[in-house]
Amino acid sequence: MKKLMLFFIYMIGSAISVVPTDQAIVEDVVEAHILPRFKALAVVSEKLVYAAEDDCSAKSLTLRNALRNAFDAWISVSHLRFGPTEKENRGFALAFWPDIRGSAPRNLARLITNQDTVVFSPIEFSKISVATRGFYAMEFLIYDQKLNKLGSSDYKCQLVQALAGDIFETSTKISDDWHNNYAKLLLEPSASSTYYSSNEALREVFKSIVGGLQFTSQARLGLPLGTFERPRPKKAESWRSNGSAHNVKLSLTSLHDLAMRLTLQYPGLKKRLGDSFDRSLILLENLKDPNFSGVSEPQSRLKIEVVQQSIDDISATIKNELGPKLGVFVGFNALDGD
Amino acid sequence: MVINLKQLYQGRRQFLAGVLATGLAPSPTWADAGSPAFLSAAAKPDGTYVLCGINQNLEVVFQIKLPSRGHAAVAHPTQPEAVAFARRPGTFALIIDCIDGAPKTIINAPSGRHFNGHGMYSLGAEFLFTTENDYDAGRGCIGVWDVKAGYVRIDEFDSGGIGPHDIKRLPNSDILVIANGGIDTHPDSGRIKLNIPTMWPNLTYFEHGLVIEKVTLRPEMHKNSIRHLSVNQMGAIAFGVQVQSDDTISSLAGLHSRGQEINLLEAPSDEIRKLKGYIGSITFSRDGQEIAVTSPIGGVIHVYDTAKKKLKSLTEIPDVCGIVANDFGYLITSGTGDLIKLSKNRVRMKARSTLRWDNHIIAVRDV
Repeated sequence: MKKLMLFFIYMIGSAISVVPTDQAIVEDVVEAHILPRFKALAVVSEKLVYAAEDDCSAKSLTLRNALRNAFDAWISVSHLRFGPTEKENRGFALAFWPDIRGSAPRNLARLITNQDTVVFSPIEFSKISVATRGFYAMEFLIYDQKLNKLGSSDYKCQLVQALAGDIFETSTKISDDWHNNYAKLLLEPSASSTYYSSNEALREVFKSIVGGLQFTSQARLGLPLGTFERPRPKKAESWRSNGSAHNVKLSLTSLHDLAMRLTLQYPGLKKRLGDSFDRSLILLENLKDPNFSGVSEPQSRLKIEVVQQSIDDISATIKNELGPKLGVFVGFNALDGD
Repeated sequence: MVINLKQLYQGRRQFLAGVLATGLAPSPTWADAGSPAFLSAAAKPDGTYVLCGINQNLEVVFQIKLPSRGHAAVAHPTQPEAVAFARRPGTFALIIDCIDGAPKTIINAPSGRHFNGHGMYSLGAEFLFTTENDYDAGRGCIGVWDVKAGYVRIDEFDSGGIGPHDIKRLPNSDILVIANGGIDTHPDSGRIKLNIPTMWPNLTYFEHGLVIEKVTLRPEMHKNSIRHLSVNQMGAIAFGVQVQSDDTISSLAGLHSRGQEINLLEAPSDEIRKLKGYIGSITFSRDGQEIAVTSPIGGVIHVYDTAKKKLKSLTEIPDVCGIVANDFGYLITSGTGDLIKLSKNRVRMKARSTLRWDNHIIAVRDV
């Protein structure tokens, strides 16, 4: 009888322990999803600085690969837009995109034409417009044909190095802020802190998966799709470096990881969401269209729209099924402000 | 998308057929109880969108099918007529007869513009003004429509900023005040915000299409998008903001009177936090002595004392958003389907429906 009692106590205990609390989910997300990704961003950004010092020419493969690696690390955290990325416009300083008004090319051309000395001072450089800094500006400088022909290559070399240094500086600040400060705010909620409760911290994480999916659907795919009458292939993210589909893949992969962590206690939903992400990734792979130039042809366009729809389906499942389960239900008016 | 008026009539007829079968046919005259006192857009359980007329007993007296999600409406100052606007970045606005909910006209934003969800009539109702986005230029603009000619577009002017949202008229005048929210968007990227680092909202006053005054928040508050407005009998403007930063916020609403500085409404920091950086709707009380704001994200209504500029009371209601002042206090709607009469901070009447009420409710006549 005593043994049976102990058995029951054990069973109850293990039943409780396998259901993660809000706190446990947030801990897992912070420690296994957020912190390693921001750490990686800082590490590969440092490598970008070395690559730019080594060979700053736009044609340099070392430089191009280093930029790709650092940019990849950014794409993988680009949904985590709260806390350290939002302080001092750091996230925008790394990634000002979409740049629908064309600020980056305009500002870069002006710097090059005027041989602006701002590139010689990291502090001064960190004060210029966010549209002229970060990964998208650097990609523009390296891959844009017009900028390749403009001005002196010596000056552009300095500009590449200034951009790399600034990216490293910003990435490090974000990573340090996460590790030394913000992780604790999410993990130790209290009445006098940023988050009242672990459910509120969980809601923040939940918002980032919803926002990340929306961004990938509406910007990464929606911008080049434009409208049927007016497709906009040149609005695709990273089209110059043939990185558009690659970025969508990285973003989905990172969001997939987050979705799996948020659904730990719901195996059915976890499986379905996992399958949905896999489906989106396969559809994307099958496009065989690295910069979404297919948006202009009806047949290939339809396939890109199908990828977008598959991502919107994931969003709907997350909002309508996972949200209420996690107690972070986002209301009709609360969902998407106006 | 150009909307076909005939389709709307059919949608309405189907609804009226149902109403007639239940003996609840709308009455033909303005004064009858069957005509609505309020209008609000809503989403139906099947995911379609409607504009609803609501009577004093909080009953839905008509539903008009909308092509996409609605936002706010504005009542004609003298006629039983109102305009309901599409939610940003929608391109349609629907003019309806307020007595029976019959759709009268559809207007469509001109090419290269979309509506931002709000509009206002001129004092004599000769003109309708609509807040719009000239999206390829990233410029806020105000559309001018000739009402008597059947809502014909006749002009437009710069709104004085980016992302104009709410628009109101000062009492007994043709001075317009516009909340330029400061956020640049483009329909190609849906509702994604394009200029958060540099956004700077303002309140701009216009007379005869010319700027007569412009006020902004302090530079450190440049990410507080001024969105919604209410005006009292004295011509004071109350405004609610939606915050686009992670910074600690001291206030989400303020007051402005022409020629003066902006005054922020104060509340304890814990209560401000509960608004989650987001005011969905704002209204002065009927006597102007209170300002009520709703936060659907926080699920809370704050009522401020206008003279003291301080929080007076609060009420928690999940996904609360639409609010309109009336003699009894306030009528409130929620995204969960509630219609609530709130009087002196207490719920006086409540009606539940399967409709998810959208951001704003307006009064179409005095009750």
